[in-house]
Amino acid sequence: MFKAFIEPFQHPFPDLTLTPKAKAKPKDWSGTVGRIWHYLAVRKVKLIFVLLMVVLSSGLALLGPYMIGQAVDHYLQGTGTVPWPLFLMGLGFVYVFYSLTSWLQNIWMIEVSQETVYRMRFDLFSHLHKLPISFYGKRQQGEIMSRVTNDIENVSGTLNSSAIQIFSSVLTLVGTLGVMIYLSPLLTLLTFIVVPLMILGMRWITRRTGPLYKERQRNLGELNGYIEETLSGQRIIKAFSQEARVMRGFRARNAAIRSSGFWAQTISGFIPKLMNSLNNLSFALVAGIGGTLAIHGSVTIGIIIVFVEYARQFTRPLNDLANQWNTLLSAIAGAERVFEVLDEETENSDEKEAIALEHVQGAVTFSHVSFAYDEKAPPILKDISFEVKPGEMIALVGPTGAGKTTLIQLLSRFYDATAGLITLDGQDICILQRESIRKNMAFVLQDSFLFRGTIRDNIRFGRLDATDTEVEEASKLANAHSFIMRLDGGYDRELQSDGRGISQGQKQLLAIARAMLADPAMLVLDEATSSIDTITEIKIQEGLKRLMKGRTSFVIAHRLNTIRQADQILVLQDGRIIERGSHDELVKLEGFYSSLHQGKMASLPE
Amino acid sequence: MEWILSYLKKYKIAAGMALVMLLLELSVELLQPFLISKIIDDGIAVKDLSVVWMWGGVLMGSALIAFGAGLSSSFFASHASQGFAYDLRDKLYDKVQSFSYTVFSKFESSSLITRLTGDITQLQDMIFMSLRFATRVPLVVIGSIIMAMVVHAKLGLLLLITVPVLLGFVLWMMRITTRKFKDVQQRLDRVNGVIQENLTGMRLIRVFVRMAHEVEKFAGYSRNLMKGTISALRITETTVPFILLLINAGIIAVLWFGRIDIRSGNASIGEVVAVMNYSLRIIGALSALSWIMMSYSRAFASAQRVVEVLDTEDSTDIAIITKNTSEKTLKNTSKNTSKNTSYSAEIPSPARGLMQIEGRIQFRDVAFRYPLGDLAVLRHISFEVKPGQRVAIMGATGSGKSSLVQLIPRLHEQTEGEIYIDGRDIVSLEPAELRGAIGYVPQEVMLFTGTIRENIAWGREDATLEEIQTAAKQAQIHETVVKLPHGYDTKLGQRGVNLSGGQKQRLSIARALVRQPAILILDDSTSALDVRTEGLLLQALDELSCTTFLITQKISSTSSADLILLMDDGELIAQGTHDELMKNSPLYQRIYISQHGEGAHHVQSIY
Repeated sequence: MFKAFIEPFQHPFPDLTLTPKAKAKPKDWSGTVGRIWHYLAVRKVKLIFVLLMVVLSSGLALLGPYMIGQAVDHYLQGTGTVPWPLFLMGLGFVYVFYSLTSWLQNIWMIEVSQETVYRMRFDLFSHLHKLPISFYGKRQQGEIMSRVTNDIENVSGTLNSSAIQIFSSVLTLVGTLGVMIYLSPLLTLLTFIVVPLMILGMRWITRRTGPLYKERQRNLGELNGYIEETLSGQRIIKAFSQEARVMRGFRARNAAIRSSGFWAQTISGFIPKLMNSLNNLSFALVAGIGGTLAIHGSVTIGIIIVFVEYARQFTRPLNDLANQWNTLLSAIAGAERVFEVLDEETENSDEKEAIALEHVQGAVTFSHVSFAYDEKAPPILKDISFEVKPGEMIALVGPTGAGKTTLIQLLSRFYDATAGLITLDGQDICILQRESIRKNMAFVLQDSFLFRGTIRDNIRFGRLDATDTEVEEASKLANAHSFIMRLDGGYDRELQSDGRGISQGQKQLLAIARAMLADPAMLVLDEATSSIDTITEIKIQEGLKRLMKGRTSFVIAHRLNTIRQADQILVLQDGRIIERGSHDELVKLEGFYSSLHQGKMASLPE
Repeated sequence: MEWILSYLKKYKIAAGMALVMLLLELSVELLQPFLISKIIDDGIAVKDLSVVWMWGGVLMGSALIAFGAGLSSSFFASHASQGFAYDLRDKLYDKVQSFSYTVFSKFESSSLITRLTGDITQLQDMIFMSLRFATRVPLVVIGSIIMAMVVHAKLGLLLLITVPVLLGFVLWMMRITTRKFKDVQQRLDRVNGVIQENLTGMRLIRVFVRMAHEVEKFAGYSRNLMKGTISALRITETTVPFILLLINAGIIAVLWFGRIDIRSGNASIGEVVAVMNYSLRIIGALSALSWIMMSYSRAFASAQRVVEVLDTEDSTDIAIITKNTSEKTLKNTSKNTSKNTSYSAEIPSPARGLMQIEGRIQFRDVAFRYPLGDLAVLRHISFEVKPGQRVAIMGATGSGKSSLVQLIPRLHEQTEGEIYIDGRDIVSLEPAELRGAIGYVPQEVMLFTGTIRENIAWGREDATLEEIQTAAKQAQIHETVVKLPHGYDTKLGQRGVNLSGGQKQRLSIARALVRQPAILILDDSTSALDVRTEGLLLQALDELSCTTFLITQKISSTSSADLILLMDDGELIAQGTHDELMKNSPLYQRIYISQHGEGAHHVQSIY
C-alpha cells in the first residue's frame, strides 16, 4: 500500500546520451512568415476586421475589471457620478461586446485560416503534379506524404488559434501594464517581483523538458518501427510461434517510452503549477501590502480588487505566449518544409510556340541521342539511333540499368535529351506539347496501379469521356471482361488503392483494358516479370496481342516469346545499342543476344 | 468509457493522490478571495494592520503549500497516465498478436500502428489532463459556488442559478463537437488517401495526362475538409464567449443585489467583493474549456478506435495460449519496470521435444472462405501426402495456392472439411506444437532488423552457429554470406534492404530450415532464384527428410515432385506426378509447352 505512494517518485531518470541534439528550428524565419502572410493576405479585409476585433476585445477585457473596481470604490460605498443602473448597464454593454468581439474574431479567423490552409494544400498538390518525375526518385514517398499531411495540419492548427492568441496576449500584456502603472506604480512593482522568478523557473524547466521530449520522440519512433516490422512480419511470427518473443521486444520499447514520457510529462507539468503559485504569491503580496497601503489611504479597496484581477490577467498571456511559442516555431518549420516542395522546379513548361499534334501516325526516330541527368553525372544513354515505322513493334532487351526505361522517358518527354534529335511523325519532339505526345501514348506498366474507386472508374481512367459500353468493349478486348463479371458487383465493384481482393494478373488485365480504351497511336509496355505466372500470362498475352495491333509499340521485354514477335530488337548495354535486328538476324550474329537466347549467361549481374 | 477506468484501477492510488493534491491546491486558491474579504472587512475597514499582515501571511503560506501540492501532483498524474498507457499499449499489442491470421488481415497495418502509437498517446494525454486540469474546471466551478454561498448565502445563490444552464450547455456542445470532429477526421483521411494514391500512381497519372482530373478530385475533397473544419471549429469557438456572457451576467447581478444588501446592512463590502472574485475564478477556469473539449473529443475518437481492436472477437484457441504467456511476462516486467527484459528462451524450442510429427498430411474435402468474404477461396480439396514426399502446387495467381498451404500451420482455419497430420485432426493440436514442426517461407520476403545470424536463428533461438551455417548451406546462401564484410554478423537494414531479392529469399529459406522442420512450406519463395541455384536448393532439400510443399510456377521444379497439385479458381483440378499430368491434364500440357517450347526461355531468370 505504502509502495504505491512512493512509486511515482522512484522512476529512474532516462539516459539521454542517445538523444539527437539537433533542433527543428526554422531556417528562414522572416521569409517563411512572409509567405504565410502572403497566403493570408488574400483575405485582407476580413483579416483587418479580425485584428480590429482583437484590439477591441483586448481593450474590453481591460475595461471590465477596471469598472468593477470603480463600482466597489464609488457605488458599493457612497455614490458615483453616474446613476447606478446606468453604470451597471454600461458594464453589461462591455461584457456583451467583449463576448461578441472575441466570438467574431475567432469565427472570422477560422474562415481565413482554413481557406489559407486549403489554398496551400491545393497549391502543393497541383505542384506535385508539375514536378519532374526525377523528384520522386530522389525522395521517399513517406517523406513527401508527411509534408502534404502532417506539416500542413500543423500550420492549420497554429493559424486557427495561436496567431490570434499571440497577438491578443501581447496587446493584453501591454494594456494591463499601462493601466496598472496608472493606478498604482508601487503595486505594479510588487506584481512584477514574480516575473524574474517566473523566467528562472521556466528556464529550469524547459532546459530539462526539451531533451526529454526528444528522447520520448526517439523512443516512440523506435516503437513505431518495431510495430511496423512485426505487423508486416505477422505471418512469419505466427507460423514460427514467436509471439511471446515479439511481445518481449515490444515491452522493452514500451517501457522506454513510459520512462522518458514520465519525466517529460512530470517536469513539463511543473509549468502551470509554477505559474499558479507565482500568481498566488503576487496575490498575497498585493493583498498584504496593498492592504497596508489602503489603511494608510494611499490606495483604495477598488484598486486592490482591480490589481488582484489584473495580476491574474497578466500572467495568463505570459503563460499563453510561452505555450504558443513552441507551437508557432514548429508550425513555421512545417510551413518551411511545405514551401521547400513548392520551390522545387517544375517540369519545364512547354515552349510558347509548341505545337499540339492531333493525329499521330506513330513514326519515331532517334538520331544520335545521348542523355545524362546532369553535366557531372555519367551518361545514361549514348549515341542512340534507330527508326520505327507506324505500327511496328520494338523490343528493348538488356540488363537492368542498361537504359531501356530512360529511352522511353525521353520519348514521352519526362526528360529531354542532352544531345541528338528525337522525332515523332517527322517533327522534333522538343517543339511538341508534352501533353499532346503523352495523349497519344498508353502505358501498361509492371506495377499496374489502381485507384480507390469502382473497376469501371479505373478503366475509364484511360479515357474520361468513355461510355459504359465502350468501357465494356475495351475490357472484352483485353480479356478482362470475364473475370470482372465473376466479381461481386462486376464493373461496380469498389477497389482499394492497394488492389486488395484482385490478383496481380487481374490488375494487369485492367491496365490493358485501360490502355485499350485510351486507344493511342503508341504503346509502351513494361513486360511483367516474375510476378505473373504462366497461366495468367497466357490470358494476358492474348489481350496484349490485340492491344498492340496497329500501334507503334515499345516493349521492355523479358520473355523471348514476346521478343521473337518484334519487328526490331534493340539490345542495350551500358546505355548503348550493341546489337539490333530481328530475332533470326541476331541469333545468327552469335553475339550478346544469341548467348542470352541460349541461356549461357547464367550469372549476368542483375 | 468504463474500460478506461478499469485500466486505471492499477494506478488508483497515484490517480487518487493526484486528485487529492489538485484538491489541496484548489482549496488554497478558493480560500484566497475569502481571505481577501477578511483583509478588507477586518483589516482595512477597521484599520487594523496586524490583521492585514496575519491574513497576508496566511495567503503566502498557503501559496507555498499549493506549490508543493502542485509539484507532487505532477508526479502522481504522470505515473498514473504513463502506467495506464503502458498497460493499454501492452494489452492492445498482445491482442493484435493473439489474433489469428485471418482476423489480423482484416485490419490495415498502418491503421494498427496509429492505434498503438498515436491513439494511445492521445488517451494518455487525456488521462494526464484529466488528473491535472480538466477535473479542475468543475471543481473550481463547484468550489467557487460553495465558497460564495459560505461567504454570503444570498449572493452565492445567484451564481448557483447559472450552473445548471451552464452544465447543460457544455454537455450539449460536447456532444456536437465530438460528432463534428469525427466527421472532420474522416474527411481528412479521405484527403490524405487521395494524396497517398496520387503519390503512388504519379507516373501513371502523368503518362495518361490526368493531372487536371486528379487535381479537381483533390480540390473537391479538400474543400469538403475545409468546410467541415470551419463548421466544427465554429462551434467550439462559440462555446466560450457564450459561457463568459452568462457568468458576466451573474457578476452584474451580484453587484446589483450586493449594493442593495450593503445599503440595508445585510452584507459587507468584503463579502460582495469575495463573491465577485469567485465568479471571476469561474470565468478563468472556464476559459480553458474549449481546449479541453477539443482534447476530449479527440480522445473519444481514439478510444473508439482502440476499443474496436480490443473488442474484436477471435474464436480460435490460439488467442488463449498467447494470452497466458503474456500475462506471465507482464508480471515480471511490472516488477522491474526499467530493466529491459532480455530475449531469454522461454518458448519451447521447436527443434527439440515436440518434434513428434512425422509429416503425413491428409486434406479431406476442405473448403475455406474469409470471414466476411463472399467467395470460397478453396473448395473440395482432398489429397494425401506421405512423410518426406515433395508436393508441388501450381496454379494461376488467386487460385488459392497460398491459402491452401496456410491452412497447414493454422494461419487460417478451414471452414469445411478436415485436415489430418499423422492421422490427428489439426484442430486437436496445440498451435505452438504444430507450428514448432513446420518451417514456413512466405511469398513476400520478410526479414527483421538485426544481423544475418540473428535473422536465421530467428527460426530457432538456441541454434548454434554450426546449425545456422548448415541451414545457410542448404539454402544456398552460405557462400554469399561468407563474402560479406562481416559475414554472419552483417547487419540488415529494416527489411534487409541491402540484399538482392534472391538473396533475401534464400535467407528466409535458411530461417525455416534451421528449425529442422518435419514439414517445410515454400510459398513461391524461389521465384527470384535463377534456375541453377534453384536446382541446387531442390537437391539439398532432397537430402532432408521433411515433407515439402512447394508453390511454384516452373515446370522445372514440378517435374521431380512426388505429387503435383494443379489449382484453378479454388479447386483442385488435377493431381498426380509429372508424367500422369502430362497424360491427363490439358492445362498442365499447355503450361509445359509454354515453358519448354522453342523460344520459351525466361530471359528474366537468366539475368
